Amino acid sequence: MTTKTAPGTRTRARRIARRRLRVTRDTTVRRVVGMLLVFAVAFGGVLYRLFDVQVQRADYFAEFGERQRERTIDLSARRGRLYDRDGEVLATSIDAATIYADPRAFRPETLENGLVKPPAADPVRTAAALAPLLGREAEWIEAQLTKDAHFVYLGRQLDWELGEQILSLQVDGRPVSGLGRIVEPSRVYPGGGLAGQIVGFTGIDGDGLHGLELQHDSLLKGTPGTLVFERAGSGLQIASGTREVTPPIAGTDLVLTIDREIQHKAEAVAEQLLLDYDAAGAGIVVLEVGSGEVLAMASAPGFDPNVRAEYAPDLWRNRTVTDVFEPGSVQKAITAAAALEEGVVTPETTFLVDDRYRVGNKTFSDAHDHPTEEMTFREIIETSSNVGTIMVAEELGDQRLAEYLDRFGFGRASGVGFPGEAPGLVLPVDQWWTTSLPTIAIGQGVAVTLLQSADFYATIANDGVATQPRIIRGTVGDDGRLAPSTPASTTRVVSNETAQAMQDILTGVVHGERATGKRAAVPGYLVAGKTGTARKPLADARGYSGQYVASFVGFAPADDPQIVVAVMVDEPYPIWGGVVAAPAFSEVMEFTLRHLRVAPGGRAPTIAEVLDAADRAKADAAAQQEGPATAPDAPASPPVGDAADPAASSPQDPAGEPAEADPDPAAEDPPDGG
Amino acid sequence: MSAVPAILRRPARPATPAPARGERHLRVVRQAKRRHTLAFVLGVLLLTAGVVFAAVSLNALAAGDAVRAADLERQVLDAERRYERLIAQVAELENPARIQQVASEQLGMVPATSPRYLPVSRPLPADGYVVELLPAGGATEPLKPLISAEK
Repeated sequence: MTTKTAPGTRTRARRIARRRLRVTRDTTVRRVVGMLLVFAVAFGGVLYRLFDVQVQRADYFAEFGERQRERTIDLSARRGRLYDRDGEVLATSIDAATIYADPRAFRPETLENGLVKPPAADPVRTAAALAPLLGREAEWIEAQLTKDAHFVYLGRQLDWELGEQILSLQVDGRPVSGLGRIVEPSRVYPGGGLAGQIVGFTGIDGDGLHGLELQHDSLLKGTPGTLVFERAGSGLQIASGTREVTPPIAGTDLVLTIDREIQHKAEAVAEQLLLDYDAAGAGIVVLEVGSGEVLAMASAPGFDPNVRAEYAPDLWRNRTVTDVFEPGSVQKAITAAAALEEGVVTPETTFLVDDRYRVGNKTFSDAHDHPTEEMTFREIIETSSNVGTIMVAEELGDQRLAEYLDRFGFGRASGVGFPGEAPGLVLPVDQWWTTSLPTIAIGQGVAVTLLQSADFYATIANDGVATQPRIIRGTVGDDGRLAPSTPASTTRVVSNETAQAMQDILTGVVHGERATGKRAAVPGYLVAGKTGTARKPLADARGYSGQYVASFVGFAPADDPQIVVAVMVDEPYPIWGGVVAAPAFSEVMEFTLRHLRVAPGGRAPTIAEVLDAADRAKADAAAQQEGPATAPDAPASPPVGDAADPAASSPQDPAGEPAEADPDPAAEDPPDGG
Repeated sequence: MSAVPAILRRPARPATPAPARGERHLRVVRQAKRRHTLAFVLGVLLLTAGVVFAAVSLNALAAGDAVRAADLERQVLDAERRYERLIAQVAELENPARIQQVASEQLGMVPATSPRYLPVSRPLPADGYVVELLPAGGATEPLKPLISAEK
């Protein structure tokens, strides 16, 4: 059935529908336009911000972002180690704990609302707990903790374990807040005072301040590196973030020429000299002939660089290279070598020698009165006659003596490469006056370091060729092995013949009939050397004091020189070099030769002889247990191989009385003004 | 929801009458196909959640690695620190003064006197000749093992 609708009604319905459709379309369009506008505004905002961030304030935001994200850590370079010639550590660095406190944690805090927040830790109890660990007074620690500051040091470069102990400290059952640790490298010297004056020390910031630590600071300290990484808000590194490492370059390790064992022996002997002879100081230098390598340089009294503040700064000096002294008769070897080289004398040239000799207005004398006697040049040196040496020097003349002093290096630093090395003192020849020649010829009026003295004798021992002494053997290469330093330069000073003649004459000083240096003998070896006993000049005026410097410089084995040892004792009693310094020389030389496995001279013993000697020693020991059958001083069994040992054939005098002591110098009438 | 009012819908049209003269032609608007909006929204949400979860997981893993790396670095530092301290301790224990003190005071040893020397026909290793026995490229200097672990 069809429903009929009036035409008017249908038209109205269509009109309504059309209107509704129009309304719907308009609404949609409006909404779309509205949304577009919103998006356009939002997008515009974004664009503006983008422009602002990327263009307008790009630098600021870039820096801000980096600051917020990036962290840079300085990577400290390990300071190079110092080794002795065999790779034994003389100086190294370890991490130490520096403990600090933030005093804000130890005082009450007033909040904005007026309430008072109690301190996080009690300063009094914390100080009491820290005192035994830090080794400080509790009052001092408490004062530090209650300072009006944000940061105070409580202890610097403490032992690492001690730092751990402090950080885990509990007071009233709670961990102490407000304490922190900074890792700092600390320089340590495991040998304590061993070679302290050579090695020197660094400051608390790791910079070299003294000795070789100062001299080679730039080489030792290396180059610090950096680590740059991105971190999250928690402080942790962002794994996918950037990480740039500039690795630190470790400092170079230095290998010294010093032999730790010989250095220890030299230091022990030097310290003993102070005790035995009530001396103000003592120095010992051991040199290797040919290479110029310094095996030991000992100065007593010494100091421990680990606790240097406990010692007077005066003791920090390596006095064997920084201090000079008048060498006395030790110098006569130079005068003698010059005279031989110039052909002025031969070892057998004879002189008529009195015990007094006048030059200008000064009278020089020998140490002991003696009648005028005929002496060979060899005997003059053996007996250390001042008068005889002056007579030889007069034949040599000013100019030639001055020339040889220069050739031997007087007045110039040895070049060993040690900070503060003294060049010595010698007047230019044009400033010499009447008594200068005799004065200088017998070792007064000039001043040298102990190292220079040793170097002069090393030249004679090395057949007349001077080798520049050195203390750096090399560096440790990237492969961990020794990279030797440049070989020392050499210069011929006197001819081989002159040097051989001097070696022979100086052997007589120790092994000759009238020898002054018998106490320097080393059983089993031929030793050559010269005693010295020199008056000390006044420190602040012309003339000489009543104090003396005793010395002995020599080498061994005299028939094939390997080692030079120089000993100097400052203000000893008794004063004689042959009594005080020669035995010390013998002790150090014997140890050095044995340590370096230098074979004794003379005929090598056979196995049968060794076994026979052992049997006799055993029999003697058994006999001694039953009762003394022989005189107490008689040797029970002579050392094997002594037959060829000149030292053994001239037994040493008992220590004490200077019966044949160095009849040295100007002791009685030293020239003034030297 | 269709934009066409219900009144305009014609449920059944058995025959289309010829439009009257002068009458405008009306086009039949079919009902729009219903889209699965909810499924789409859920899918997008799921995808977003998956991406977020993956990103967070990766970040968590990376953070875990960073913690492990930091821990390893700390261990390396501790080991290096310990190594340095051991080197210093060994040198301290080898100090000749200490050895001499221990030998004389604790072990009752005395310095050797009157040494006997017996030269041997062959060189001994202690004389440095051991160097010659090393293979080519070996040590040229009998320095201690020093040094090699350092660099």
